[in-house]
Amino acid sequence: MKIAIIDYGAGNLRSIESALKKLGQKFEIIKKPEELGDFAKVILPGVGAAKSAMNNLKKQGFSKTLAQLKIPFLGICLGLQLLSDFSYEDDVKCLSIIPGRVKKFPKFVKVPQIGWNKVNFVKESPLLDDIPNESYFYFVNSFYFETDRDFLTAESDYGITFPSIIQKDNFYATQFHPEKSGEIGAKLLFNFCKKC
Amino acid sequence: MLIIPAIDIIEGTCVRLEKGDYSTKKTYSKNPLKVAKNFEDKGAEMLHIVDLDGAKTGSMKNVETILKIRRNIRIPIQVGGGIRNISDARKYLNNGIDRIILGTKAVENKTLLGNLIKEFGSKKIIVSIDVLNGKIRTKGWLGKTGINYLDFAKELKKTGITEIICTDISRDGTLTSPNLIPLKKLKELGFNIIAAGGISDTKSIEKLRKIGIRGAIIGKALYENKIRIDDFFKNNLAKRIIVCMDIKNGRVVKGKNYKNLEDAGDPVKLAGKYCKTGTDELIFLDITATIEKRKILYRLVEQIAENINIPFTVGGGIKTLKDIKELLRRGADKVSIGSAAVANPKLIRRAAKKFGSQCIVISIDPKKNGNLQEIRTESGSKKTKITALEFAKKMEKFGAGELLINSIDRDGTGKGYDIELLREISESVRIPIIASSGAGKKEDFLEAFEDGKADAALSASMFHYGKIKIPELKKYLQNNNVKIRP
Repeated sequence: MKIAIIDYGAGNLRSIESALKKLGQKFEIIKKPEELGDFAKVILPGVGAAKSAMNNLKKQGFSKTLAQLKIPFLGICLGLQLLSDFSYEDDVKCLSIIPGRVKKFPKFVKVPQIGWNKVNFVKESPLLDDIPNESYFYFVNSFYFETDRDFLTAESDYGITFPSIIQKDNFYATQFHPEKSGEIGAKLLFNFCKKC
Repeated sequence: MLIIPAIDIIEGTCVRLEKGDYSTKKTYSKNPLKVAKNFEDKGAEMLHIVDLDGAKTGSMKNVETILKIRRNIRIPIQVGGGIRNISDARKYLNNGIDRIILGTKAVENKTLLGNLIKEFGSKKIIVSIDVLNGKIRTKGWLGKTGINYLDFAKELKKTGITEIICTDISRDGTLTSPNLIPLKKLKELGFNIIAAGGISDTKSIEKLRKIGIRGAIIGKALYENKIRIDDFFKNNLAKRIIVCMDIKNGRVVKGKNYKNLEDAGDPVKLAGKYCKTGTDELIFLDITATIEKRKILYRLVEQIAENINIPFTVGGGIKTLKDIKELLRRGADKVSIGSAAVANPKLIRRAAKKFGSQCIVISIDPKKNGNLQEIRTESGSKKTKITALEFAKKMEKFGAGELLINSIDRDGTGKGYDIELLREISESVRIPIIASSGAGKKEDFLEAFEDGKADAALSASMFHYGKIKIPELKKYLQNNNVKIRP
């Protein structure tokens, strides 16, 4: 079983590659949607701004195909936010896979949020197998995804309570970076590879 | 939703009344400024200040006290109580108060409302509707009017007022729960609504949020410690402990002030070791940073990225967008830029735009020159006449994601971080700051977080020389109520 990592020019892929390598997980970097057919799962990583990311996804032909996917999908950080309908970062229309909007953190907290924050579980999920509730994961974000509670797997507090893990059908996504979250992050990636 | 703590003032002191009854006066503090600062520190987004003497007598009695608060805090302030004419309004609005609240006067004199909106704009003028049993009350709630609040609101709508504060007098100071019915009805008329009276727990706040209320004024519940303001602004982001490694020719070196450097080992192995002990982040500073040695650094960054699974920053000699790109491409999460940011600030703007603010850390190296914290560049050898604070603000504006605050005077002394410098910068910018230079004992970290308001604290020597182990330091901080990732 192989995992595809989508390369759409949003940040470096080295950390996610290293993380999967350490888990002994086979993977390949892909740049075209046609290549998706050969894979059992797909990861959409991402650091950077929403607009250029959406432009690249469109240019590479992913913007329509991703919504049709039936295989397990994991969006990370910007990869989570792009699942929304709309992002107030650059006022850009996103993939509309999970309903909701991406908003900026309120003014009274420092932005970007940088560091380890507690993740409070709301719902059971195979992603969270063997991970204790209230574990710390590493976040780097100025925006958060405001969505319906139906899609909420876990939430965190940074001035306001915001979704840190969401899921709709085969689409899983984390606002934090599991690939940068030490052993606990590696465990979550393992769960995605083996249990989702 | 805005959480707005209330400060009610009688004769310069901070008080609370119950249901507006002056005979129930309870004094909470003789120093309203201190109260205001405390609310700001805890995360309040706006303050609601009422001159109760003014509200009762019709002439403002606490203007100086209120303007003193204005001069000393940064969040917006709205003020009410005794504002009866345009010159009263100017006393506040021309001196930095963000919005004024009219109650009594709005009821009696709609022409004044019109004139105020003409002079200051509708965003600066708020009308407070104080309701008891469906009828408006005026003059510090002592005056009965017999006017139905909804009829009054409809009249207000015509004047151009967009925002109203609705206080249910029967609930005020009672620590019960807000009355949602008038709020909903007023909202239906198309106003922005700020709710006041009886809001005493986060559940009430949740109810208000659900019906689309813009803000909530909270008084007694805060003063009586029934709720803490922190409860509204729950924030579990942990303070970070960062280990710094100086790199020379691909090896970690240690030594004071870059002199008598000793080899301290292989960076990749050391990084792995620090990861296991619970270090939150790593910084690698290349102190050779010559072009010939660049390749060694690049290879090293790749190896680190392959072997550790926590974030790391790389710095030293970064001068161009290409330098940044090469490091990020090889797996660095962030880059730290020092001298080049001073010499060429536009680089920061471009870098933030191209790679995102989150990966741009600015290293600020000041040395005291009299009372000034003057930025130095070129490893501290070059003076710049720029103060650390102005540079910090400029870098924030240019898109920096984080500031790494060094102190040449403290570096290597073990006397503790420069707390004053940290606090000054932390209070003036809205991006995270990392304390650096001078840590010698675990108490120094606590001080950096508590008094210096740093978001992260860094040390090299303390950890390399084994003066303290990370788990021990974290335990100490946790025991002192610092939020820490265990």
